Amino acid sequence: MRVFWTVLALLVAFLLQSALTHVVPQQARMVDLFVLVLVYCGLVGGETHAMLAGAAGGWVQDVQFGGGVVGLSGLTKVLVGFGVGLSGTRFQLTEPGARVLVLFAASLVDALIFERLASAFDVRIETLSLGGLLTRSTLNAALGGVIFFYVDRHLARRRHP
Amino acid sequence: MAIGRTGPGVARVIEGRKSRFLLGALVLAHLVAISRQVEGEGGVSLLERGLWSVLIPPQRVVASAIQGVKGVWTGYAGLRGARDENRRLQDRVRGLETQLQATQQQIGEASRLREVLELRPILPFPTMAAQVIAREGVPWFRNLTIGKGQKDGVALNAAVLGVGGVLGRVVAVGPTAAKVQLLLDRDCGVGVRIERTRTTAVVSGQVAFSDSGTSELLMKYVPVLADVVVGDVVVTSGLDQIYPKGLVVGRVRSVGKGSGLFKEVAVQPSANFEKIEEVMVATSPPAPTVMTESVR
Repeated sequence: MRVFWTVLALLVAFLLQSALTHVVPQQARMVDLFVLVLVYCGLVGGETHAMLAGAAGGWVQDVQFGGGVVGLSGLTKVLVGFGVGLSGTRFQLTEPGARVLVLFAASLVDALIFERLASAFDVRIETLSLGGLLTRSTLNAALGGVIFFYVDRHLARRRHP
Repeated sequence: MAIGRTGPGVARVIEGRKSRFLLGALVLAHLVAISRQVEGEGGVSLLERGLWSVLIPPQRVVASAIQGVKGVWTGYAGLRGARDENRRLQDRVRGLETQLQATQQQIGEASRLREVLELRPILPFPTMAAQVIAREGVPWFRNLTIGKGQKDGVALNAAVLGVGGVLGRVVAVGPTAAKVQLLLDRDCGVGVRIERTRTTAVVSGQVAFSDSGTSELLMKYVPVLADVVVGDVVVTSGLDQIYPKGLVVGRVRSVGKGSGLFKEVAVQPSANFEKIEEVMVATSPPAPTVMTESVR
């Protein structure tokens, strides 16, 4: 069942990301819905779950939105997923504030690792400025915070109607 | 009892080892995949082709739905100013008809001149229209996906044009879709020349950070002594064997001193990259450009 929900979440992320690129192309580039999915998986299901969700999401992102080398986002998100999953099992990260912080950090680390990996594999990319990195992370954190809140509320209602 | 007390701890250790093993395996698999990416048919690996065939249909549905909503909205908004617009357009059509007659005269004249000079005629190349089904969803690359692929006759490296000028080239082709690398991408390069002075150079991607919001192109290898001024029209030279020559790329926006032997020239692209919904794809490669000229 967990696999089903994860695949569904990744599919929704993919379709929403595609739709955003048509509606607000400039802003869509700064939102990474796959990071939100992997962070949620990491906080709820641990590092294994987050790594697998991250790998799948990263590959979709590479094929559909990335450049010439497939696997860079996949590798990035495996590493970020491991970090988030580990944090989720080591620390108490159930409060909304803590989750937003994790989302912010995960988005920031995701961008930094991706840029370092691209440089290591000699893939020419446009880099984000410090302001851009912070904007992207803040945007993802805010969006993820709201989505996590509603998902948790929905799940709680289903458990205790 | 001892086992009962240590059970959860042992389970946690095993789980930890398992996840570390998985991390190692995933990282290794990715490193191998990235390092050994062999381009298959159409510049796309087999894995990428497989994933594409799964991902394209839903994306096409999303694009069509958004196009539909946009169409309804545009229709509604369009009705409101239709009368004034109609009058204005009629005036414009009259003007354009006159212009067209003049242009046809010029074409005839140019064609006759070409025959007289025995120069290779510059033929218009066949193109096809394609719908944009996805734009770049990450800040690091500038590309888009179009809804036509190998089955429709799209070839690798085909030039892609939009309203105003050159947009980019096809870098990967699937059966029913293709990925287009935009001129704005840092990894993109186009052989160009300045129309006024015939100075050749190379134009490539963004000058600033990805999030700066600018869409300038960088013109490389312009000699310090070259005659370049702001406003000069930049067209494709055809020397890269990808883009047919004579297509408008943009206008020179600024000319700096640069360092060493070359000037620093920024070009404002003539195509509007932010509002691309349909593109034209060249369906046949450009004829090879002859580098030398016969001396009469």
